[in-house]
Amino acid sequence: MSTRSMTNFQDSAAYKIIDRHKKLIIAFLLIVFLFVIGEFTVETFLTLSQVLLTLKLASFIALFALCQMIAIAGGGSGLDLSVGYMATITAVFTAAIMEGRNSHLGVAVLAALGLGLVVGLINGTLTAYLRLPPLVVTLAMANILQGVINVYTAGKNITGRPSPVLQTMAAKSTGIFPNIVFLLLIITPIVMILLYKTKLGLKLFGSGANETAAYLSGVNVKLVRCTSYIISSTLASIIGLLLLGNMGIAFKDMGSNYVMPSIAAVVVGGVSLTGGDGNYIGVILGAIFLQTLTNLLVALGWGDAGKWTGFGIVLFALLILYLSNRRKR
Amino acid sequence: MNGKNNNAVASALKRFVSNHDFPRLLILIAMFALTAVMQKNFFAMKSIVRNINSFTPLILLTMGQAVVIISGGLDLSVGTALSLLTCVATSVMRQGLPITGVYALLVTFAVAMAMGLINGIGIGFFRVPPLIVTFATSYIWLGIALFLRPTPGGETVDWFQVFYKIRNIESAPASLKAFGEIIPPALVLIILGCILWWIISRTKTGRYIYAVGGNSESAYVTGINTSWVQIKACLINSVFIFLAALFFVGQSRSGDARMGDPLTLKAIAAVVVGGIALTGGRGSVYYAFVGALIFSFVSKIIFFANIPNAFQTLFSGVIIIIAIAGSQLYTLSSRKEMEESKLT
Repeated sequence: MSTRSMTNFQDSAAYKIIDRHKKLIIAFLLIVFLFVIGEFTVETFLTLSQVLLTLKLASFIALFALCQMIAIAGGGSGLDLSVGYMATITAVFTAAIMEGRNSHLGVAVLAALGLGLVVGLINGTLTAYLRLPPLVVTLAMANILQGVINVYTAGKNITGRPSPVLQTMAAKSTGIFPNIVFLLLIITPIVMILLYKTKLGLKLFGSGANETAAYLSGVNVKLVRCTSYIISSTLASIIGLLLLGNMGIAFKDMGSNYVMPSIAAVVVGGVSLTGGDGNYIGVILGAIFLQTLTNLLVALGWGDAGKWTGFGIVLFALLILYLSNRRKR
Repeated sequence: MNGKNNNAVASALKRFVSNHDFPRLLILIAMFALTAVMQKNFFAMKSIVRNINSFTPLILLTMGQAVVIISGGLDLSVGTALSLLTCVATSVMRQGLPITGVYALLVTFAVAMAMGLINGIGIGFFRVPPLIVTFATSYIWLGIALFLRPTPGGETVDWFQVFYKIRNIESAPASLKAFGEIIPPALVLIILGCILWWIISRTKTGRYIYAVGGNSESAYVTGINTSWVQIKACLINSVFIFLAALFFVGQSRSGDARMGDPLTLKAIAAVVVGGIALTGGRGSVYYAFVGALIFSFVSKIIFFANIPNAFQTLFSGVIIIIAIAGSQLYTLSSRKEMEESKLT
């Protein structure tokens, strides 16, 4: 095939569709691959209850990855490293507000929304309007949020419990299916429609794909990016409520371990880290893959060390696979 | 005549004040003065050595980070890389077998170089955005460090304290001990780092690092092997991390998989405060030193102001945000001024 026809082929819509599905297929094959390995090395790896538990735990990764995906989609090398800490701080504060009562759920949700809004606004302003590197800003924000938690919890125990409604939503199951999976099933189409069928999604992807083109066609790119951080933080805050519902209590490090998986899930799901893209179904597959990998490594007795090494290597390899921009002499 | 003289003084003063680095130096002097006031016996030899010891890791990491940032990269893995090196060193060494210290030096250096190479290949060769690729590798280092040391600990040989306090080594010759009293080992490590960069900055590599960071495309078109230059920048960074790890192991005599985590962000922030553009190609590694000093003095001030320990993370986060946003505003405004003065 000559170079010209090759470029023509790469420009065609058909190629782009194949390309997008290629990444989904890779993510799916990776999951199957892990289950095959698990079935051979660990006994009773592929049982129904195990799969359902994997789905439940993966749902939380997928929810955090949704925040991440929205921050990334706006472009400008966007990323939000503060999501996990945002969730923790909300959980810690709202646990004290709710004290296990349903009647205070409304106040708790309002508090969560308010907290998320403020943090997102700061993140968004610093990255979009001051053009500071998002990773550095959100990492510093993570430090600040952790600092607030440290100050709040200094010298006393974190008290309070989630309202029963939250516990039903996040921790309980209907029949054999965990409720959180149903929640994810409801959210997914809404997200996909918002991103792919509305003007809002078009603006977000436009800002990410080509900043100049978006600006010239009248999109306020800075506002869009700032908004994406607000959405990301607010969502993370709400996820904090669900996390609290699942765990039953709030503790200092409950959300911070989700930051790395949330980014890895987005990358495994085939979403471009340069922005302008966001297939949430892929991200969910990515989350399931990461949870399966965790299960496998824990079953093999490698614990936390194995988990982080595994996540790091997978992320590193896929980054090179998907984002490599090698110069050829 | 008098008026003319006044004008000359005023213009000299104005030139000094409008110097790009003036605010930084002013802040440094202010922080220095404030610390001197707050710390008892600030000018006593003992306090000076203690201060140098507590500043050393950040200074070394900041200088390494500065090299990477100038080359157009950014390394989010310095903290975990440092942790991993301490874990490696303390896993190789066996107490009471002095020769294992030599093995530890060699193995730790090799691991440091390997980490630099992996980051460099990701950044320079595959050209994946540096922040995200080093974010990924930081978890690889963390995982391996946790494999080696699930909990802080490990063994060291006695002479490894040569990197921290020579006096503590019983078998050390008296002359060496006396030398250690005058010049603390930490200072020697910093001077080593400075000499290293001084030599490199005078070679082609030093200039290429600036060229690649400033404009990778034109550097490439000019025939510079940009990938190799960025890999070399990461390797230089690794040398600085290695030096910091030696100090840490000498000081704490143990390895800890989590101890470097807070240093990553501080090193980046110190680089920014030192006036090095995060976009690369501009700034001086020695000013990174100034940035690190400012940060170190700030943390001393927080310590001496009797602020409860719980506030430390919060304050350092807030200061980092203010510092980064402040320098960015300053850079943006001075650039605008420059453009306006060009137009008129």
